Amino acid sequence: MVFSSLFFTFAFLPVTVILYYSLGKHFKNIVLLTASLFFYAWGEPVYVLLLCGSILINYCIGALLGRDDASRRNRKLLLIISLVFNVGCLAYFKYFGLIICTIADIGSWHLNVGIPTLPLGISFYTFQTLSYVIDVYRGKVKQQKSLILFALYSSMFPQVVAGPIVKYADIESQLADRRINFQGFYSGMRRFLCGLAKKVLLANNIGMLWSEVKAMPGTEISVLMAWAGIIAFTLQIYFDFSGYSDMAIGLGKMFGYRFKENFQYPYIAQSISEFWRRWHISFGSWFKEYVYISLGGNRVGTWKLIRNLFIVWFLTGLWHGASWNFVLWGLYFGTLLVIEKLFLQKSMAHWPKAVRHIYLLLFVVIGWVFFEFTNLTDMMSFLQTMFGIGGNALIDNQVIVKLKAYAALYIVCIIAASPWPKKRALLFKRNHGNIYRLAVTVYYCALMFFSTAYMVGSTYNPFIYFRF
Amino acid sequence: MRRNNKKNLAIIQNIVCMLPFLFILAMFIVHLALPDKTFSKEERRYLAQWPVFHIEKVLDGSYANKVKSYFSDQFPFRNFWVHIHKGSNQILLQGEDSNSADVDLAVQGK
Repeated sequence: MVFSSLFFTFAFLPVTVILYYSLGKHFKNIVLLTASLFFYAWGEPVYVLLLCGSILINYCIGALLGRDDASRRNRKLLLIISLVFNVGCLAYFKYFGLIICTIADIGSWHLNVGIPTLPLGISFYTFQTLSYVIDVYRGKVKQQKSLILFALYSSMFPQVVAGPIVKYADIESQLADRRINFQGFYSGMRRFLCGLAKKVLLANNIGMLWSEVKAMPGTEISVLMAWAGIIAFTLQIYFDFSGYSDMAIGLGKMFGYRFKENFQYPYIAQSISEFWRRWHISFGSWFKEYVYISLGGNRVGTWKLIRNLFIVWFLTGLWHGASWNFVLWGLYFGTLLVIEKLFLQKSMAHWPKAVRHIYLLLFVVIGWVFFEFTNLTDMMSFLQTMFGIGGNALIDNQVIVKLKAYAALYIVCIIAASPWPKKRALLFKRNHGNIYRLAVTVYYCALMFFSTAYMVGSTYNPFIYFRF
Repeated sequence: MRRNNKKNLAIIQNIVCMLPFLFILAMFIVHLALPDKTFSKEERRYLAQWPVFHIEKVLDGSYANKVKSYFSDQFPFRNFWVHIHKGSNQILLQGEDSNSADVDLAVQGK
């Protein structure tokens, strides 16, 4: 089930909310857990057993790790068992296919092995449970005694399929006891609506342009069209992903949970490292805490630092998908960060703001080419087109038509990706409190109305050759 | 008296704040209350019906897909929403009208 589906918004959500708020305090977490397991099982009826298995095993390991009489050696052994199990599951279900295909390619063999399909959200919930086990091992948090609360933490429906990755330490105190009030409910609902609108109004629509460009034969794409397309994708992926995070944060809030922010206007950043502090924050901080710092972090010699950065960015790339182009994408950012850290850091401070911003956007946009094309040949030919190497036309009629049609949407998206509207709104709130309240109400009603229209409208499917 | 007014105002404000959620709730109830249609003149096709429960269909995921189509096909005032969608696309994208790319980058391939 995805949040932007009619079944979720108009059936699953109202039923869950009504049950949650009509039952007493002790049942709330049970309602949420049941709803979460149902939500997960709806999309993955078989793999829900894998999720439950992972919950049980990690719960037991946590309980054993937390025992007072556990010796140091046993605790280390338990941690290793947990790491092998969690990372092993992830590796098998996500990367087994990639490994087999690569081996088959290298040796040009024909390997006939059953490749498992990817369980929904496994990359996210594995990271969440790992954060729990590692923190219990490190003594940073106490083991969770209640199986229900631990299961709820691992499978909570707002974030189980697409993040944010909530670290156990951040949410420990909220699991058993949290403030549930009206204020939180409606501000959460508004956040959910923002995310929904980002997804169905902005991401899906600007995404149409990119799908069209991607479907065009390589020789027919003009240089301008290539840029228009990849910029459309740049906007699409931001609104898609940050919209999904907004919906998750909003849903969490509706049930009393406070999750940390996952996106902070990444496209206004002025350096690659700043971009990564603003993009998918929960993921970056997970990697920093459990991988980068474990490897020694910043406090090592230059060579080790470079090695650490490359390990982290290799894994970051690999995490994003089981295909080598993601690794390339990760290493691309790793290289840029090394260059920034070693050479550019000092001189960049003197660059004009606009130059820094253009530098960041240019490299991020190029980065999305690596991210989007799984096929290396297509990727290279698209890059060549972007830089006018392929001999394609600079500009053609088609791109002018497209740009005219999409101009309004581009402008809306670019404004919406900046903090400007929020700043203006806060300013307006200070000066005209009453009008602001009215305007905000109208705004959210409009978001709801148009999001519904777009959700229903996208399923419009007239049958053209119908015989009566 | 004044206190009462203030109280009333607060209640009205709260209800207004909840409008989007009340809308969701209303659509859900209307959906349950309205009889299902079998045929759509506008789309010239038969509409999806509530699927019959089979455990095998649940396990292979096709049941969830059928419920999804049932939900969108039988959504209250479907033609009205389709109309709004088309109209606003006409304004926003100047008639650049094909169905929205319904892909989930956030969920895909993760």
